[in-house]
Amino acid sequence: MLKITNLSTRVVDSDINILDKFNLEIGDGEIHAIMGPNGTGKSTLAKTIMGNYQYEVVKGKINFDNNDLLKLSVDERAKLGIFLSMQDPTVIDGVSNSEFIRTAINSINGEKTNLYQFIKDMESNMKDLKLDSKMTHRSLNKDFSGGEKKKNEILQLKMIKPKFIILDELDSGLDVDSLKIVSKNINNYLKDNPKTSVLIITHYPRILEYIKPDFVHVLVDGNIKKTGDIKLAHDIEKNGYEIVDGKDE
Amino acid sequence: MVKMSKVIYIDENKDTYKFDLEEDTIIYHYSINKSYDVEVNLNKEDITLNYYYNNINYDDNTYKIRINHNKSNTNSFVYNHGVNVSDNKLHYWVDGVIPKKSENCDCNQDNQIINIKNGKSKIWPNLLVDNYDVNANHSAYIGKFKESLLFYLMSRGISRKDSYKLLLEGFLLNTDSVDREKIKDFVDEINKI
Repeated sequence: MLKITNLSTRVVDSDINILDKFNLEIGDGEIHAIMGPNGTGKSTLAKTIMGNYQYEVVKGKINFDNNDLLKLSVDERAKLGIFLSMQDPTVIDGVSNSEFIRTAINSINGEKTNLYQFIKDMESNMKDLKLDSKMTHRSLNKDFSGGEKKKNEILQLKMIKPKFIILDELDSGLDVDSLKIVSKNINNYLKDNPKTSVLIITHYPRILEYIKPDFVHVLVDGNIKKTGDIKLAHDIEKNGYEIVDGKDE
Repeated sequence: MVKMSKVIYIDENKDTYKFDLEEDTIIYHYSINKSYDVEVNLNKEDITLNYYYNNINYDDNTYKIRINHNKSNTNSFVYNHGVNVSDNKLHYWVDGVIPKKSENCDCNQDNQIINIKNGKSKIWPNLLVDNYDVNANHSAYIGKFKESLLFYLMSRGISRKDSYKLLLEGFLLNTDSVDREKIKDFVDEINKI
């Protein structure tokens, strides 16, 4: 599904590479987690895959389902089925949540969605996520709590139905109960769509107790230094990132 | 109990308006390519004004609004949103006036102008306050839509053009409470930008 080869990226107008000769391959239906200390390039990776304007690719390739992602605009990447659940979802005053989601679905499907079905799906998914139905008509993420913003990202995910999901620090800003709710929703989505792949970016292994990864990678200084399973995440929680510093596998 | 506000739509073709208010009031003011001079007097204690001014601009225009807090415990929330489509001048003069005799007033103004091209836009956000016991805030932004907004919308599959259209509509309608039927010409004009 996704193959990243020898990728080096940096912030636009900077001369320091954040990701440096980074490699990663994610197959259909696989769940990968990337852990790492602050400033090692985890969010840069997520934003680079999505095509964020703040980052430039110095060299390397990102291939997604036989498409050269680096040649595509942000919306074209989303249309291929890539979804980035953002660490800090953007507030857009004046654009209602429902208008936004409906426009997104129409754009991705290339046709107008049935309004009755859309409302029914929104109601059902909001109920599953324990989101207040009034949020449908509120401005996008405006005056939402941290937890509501994250749940709203997962609402979008469930409505848009992507095939590759990037969760960028989904657990930040979520209390334990809310984390359980969003994880349950994601797991149900994955059960219904078994070929969907996930890249979880996190500091802490807590979320990995709810969404079980097949692989755990540790990112240090812009590169994966160690790969393992959930036990590696537990090791990191117990002993910190020093256990993997400079230890190439 | 929820207090109902009086609602006013400015739809006459005048250049100047003066409102003497004695109750909670919401004023919707949607304009296309025009200059205005507006004065609002808050003449009774404990009343609140919400003023939504939204304009689409093509030529040189100036919009002046002055909110006079003539009584204590009066509140004003003024939202001025403009889109300057061409390279012409769009100027906002926004005065919030609280004289010494008016205590415990809340005076707020949010001013934003989006330049589509290289418009010469200016905002003068003035808080003329002569009483210490007040809350007064102003903000002013002139520029383009932020790339972060476009990125968020596009990351959900919406093209840059459609994202821009969504942002324009949201920015210029500026509130969910407005009756779109009453500003139909303005809504149609948004689609021409």
